[in-house]
Amino acid sequence: MKAAHSQATPDKASAKDTRNTGPGRLLIAVYAVFAISATARAGYQILTKFSEAPLAYLLSAFAALVYLVATVSLAKAGSTWFKVSLAAVLVELVGVVVVGALSVFDPVQFPHETVWSMFGRGYAFIPLLLPVLGLAWLYRRRPGKRKAEA
Amino acid sequence: MDAYFYIIMAVGLISTGICLAAGILKKAPNDLTILSVAAVELALVVYLVGSVVRVISGEPIAGEAWEFWGYLATAMLLPPAAVYWSILERTRWSNFVLAAVGVTALVMAARMNQIWY
Repeated sequence: MKAAHSQATPDKASAKDTRNTGPGRLLIAVYAVFAISATARAGYQILTKFSEAPLAYLLSAFAALVYLVATVSLAKAGSTWFKVSLAAVLVELVGVVVVGALSVFDPVQFPHETVWSMFGRGYAFIPLLLPVLGLAWLYRRRPGKRKAEA
Repeated sequence: MDAYFYIIMAVGLISTGICLAAGILKKAPNDLTILSVAAVELALVVYLVGSVVRVISGEPIAGEAWEFWGYLATAMLLPPAAVYWSILERTRWSNFVLAAVGVTALVMAARMNQIWY
């Protein structure tokens, strides 16, 4: 699992089963920024004012975890990491849609203080856009596109 | 918003503009785009030095001090991280990674200003 760090040369081996190349690198960079900011924000919320809205702040922490998993798994090669990425991005999409909807209909339980509240409005709606781009990228780079899955 | 914010806004937007243009023109990261990101780092160093001087001279931070320094430290890590990430694979996409630094620094500087005042 440790190897397969994609080199600058997009040769045949690394061009195959990896998402860590081309536009994927931009995607990973944006995911990394969200992983950092969501982790910092959730940590701050839980350490300073957890009792105010435990559910929302636990969701914050969960969102942070999803972004972390997505960032790491997208950077890794192989079909196992592909599945991890797919799961993380799908959870992210469901999360932003469900939490976004809940924050609109039940603003008491969901004060506008998670990354996903109001469909990520506080973050220029990037949280809503990101999983869609993520799924599109995963689809384009899916394992077994030209070769049977290992 | 103080002068530090406007410095970072100007440098950040110029850097983002240069890197976006380079990416759209299908160029790989070059001296110009990397130096523009280095300029963002320099602007953040100016903010850091200025803030340290202000704290030493007795000016209080209205919000949580550690939150302010946390933002500043994180913002200062972004340019080197983005440059490192972008030169590992030098394609046009890396310029879009570099382009993200300027706007991110801008947003973080705005938040740091809110915390300070």
